Amino acid sequence: MSALIGYAAAVCVAAGLLAGLVVLVVARDGRLALRVALDLWLAAGLLRLALPPSWDQLLSAAAIIAVRQLVGLGLGPSRAASTGEK
Amino acid sequence: MDDVLGEEWLSHSVDLLVRLVETAGALIIFVGAMTALVRFVVVGLRDRRTRAFVPVRLGLGRFLALGLEFQLASDILRTAIAPTLREIAELAAVAAIRTALNFFLAREIRQERAELARSEGRATPDPVDEPAGRPS
Repeated sequence: MSALIGYAAAVCVAAGLLAGLVVLVVARDGRLALRVALDLWLAAGLLRLALPPSWDQLLSAAAIIAVRQLVGLGLGPSRAASTGEK
Repeated sequence: MDDVLGEEWLSHSVDLLVRLVETAGALIIFVGAMTALVRFVVVGLRDRRTRAFVPVRLGLGRFLALGLEFQLASDILRTAIAPTLREIAELAAVAAIRTALNFFLAREIRQERAELARSEGRATPDPVDEPAGRPS
């Protein structure tokens, strides 16, 4: 079960990279691409939290999630979308 | 009677329930992430506008919030069978992270929804936010 969740988290990380790349290529908006990638990396962090908790894993998952939240707050709510059509 | 309602039996039952609920939460998060990935690619190829990605992010946020609710439910269940102080501390840390994330996600979804409504020129609130019994 732990291995399965680990794979699922890795798939989510790869999905974040792919989705971010798609958004970057299509919309040519780095901020939006980063936000999209961070959303999917957050999903990976949440999946890692479902693993049997050890302090190391807990701290690394919490750090990833905290970084994601800080960057998200720094980018602001949908600032990219509010700038209008590209 | 002790065999049926013994501490060990209770521990096994709760452990099974915890695994079930936790798996459901993880499954929801994974399915949401994969659905969002497919939609990001489809929207990117079909509708090449920045604004078109906002509903997809909104959908992903909803999936993540739902998965978090399930995981929080499993944390609550686990408190029934956390015998050592160390386990309780780990449980409290995980629950605190999940609760904080749930709060931030809910706030982000609210902001994105308002942004979407503004950009579409209408102010239709989500039915979930409507107070019960209020006529629509």
